[in-house]
Amino acid sequence: MNVQFKKGVLEICVLALASREDRYGYELAVKISEKFELAVGSIYPLLNRLTQDGYFSTYLRESSEGPPRKYYRLTPEGAAYMRHLVLEWHDFTRAVNEIIEEGIR
Amino acid sequence: MNRQMYMQELNRLLAVVPEPQRAEWLYDYELHFEMAAENGVAEEQAAAELGDPRLIAKELMLGYRVNQAEDKRNVVSVSRAVFASVGLGFFNLVFVLGPFIAVLGVLIALWAVSGAFLLVAVACIWEGYRGEMFSTGQGFSLAAVSCGLGLLTGTGTLALSRGFMKMTLTYLRFNTRLVRGGRA
Repeated sequence: MNVQFKKGVLEICVLALASREDRYGYELAVKISEKFELAVGSIYPLLNRLTQDGYFSTYLRESSEGPPRKYYRLTPEGAAYMRHLVLEWHDFTRAVNEIIEEGIR
Repeated sequence: MNRQMYMQELNRLLAVVPEPQRAEWLYDYELHFEMAAENGVAEEQAAAELGDPRLIAKELMLGYRVNQAEDKRNVVSVSRAVFASVGLGFFNLVFVLGPFIAVLGVLIALWAVSGAFLLVAVACIWEGYRGEMFSTGQGFSLAAVSCGLGLLTGTGTLALSRGFMKMTLTYLRFNTRLVRGGRA
């Protein structure tokens, strides 16, 4: 898939995945890379930035195996931001789809 | 590339970031390798999935530089943030570095003008005392005028510089959202 596409949508994917339940970084990386190929290491700088912007809060939780995991919880601001992005995304994709359909008909 | 090599490379590339911050960032990647191992993913494969450490380091460095620039708000820190952004792609070379250097040039010129006015003021006083071109009184009045112009230009340039730095930072923040990310 086109690299430019992926750059733009990574943020929305991360926010959407964390809106249902708190997630840890590796989990987000795996879930997203199941759907499309990307350099999953980019997720961590993104998570840092979103946390800094107040869209996520983080906490450590012990797991049954291995070191404690760092969980990301969507804040109310984060949830609002995600809804805003999702609306924009729907408008945008609908418009692009209409243009494509007109073009190839 | 195995886990140790990957982490060493990342650590080396992030060397300028001070300690609590760097350790925190590296911990994310240590944890990633740890969990990949738990899930039966080989170190080499996990490293490949993470992506080129140079790219990751650039993204992290950009975040660091923009934060630094927002804290310090001086030319050096803002320039560093601009260069960190340029490292992430050609797009930024044209749309960030070009205008940045152009406006920076204009600002430097304005600073020079204001400095020149102040120098002229000093020269006028000197001339008033020692020279024959004009009297001490004339020298002082000319110095006062020149000094006033210098301060006026200086104050204006200072306001412009501050505004420009602020604008650059806002743009960089906006820009990092667009030009970020994966190369898989």
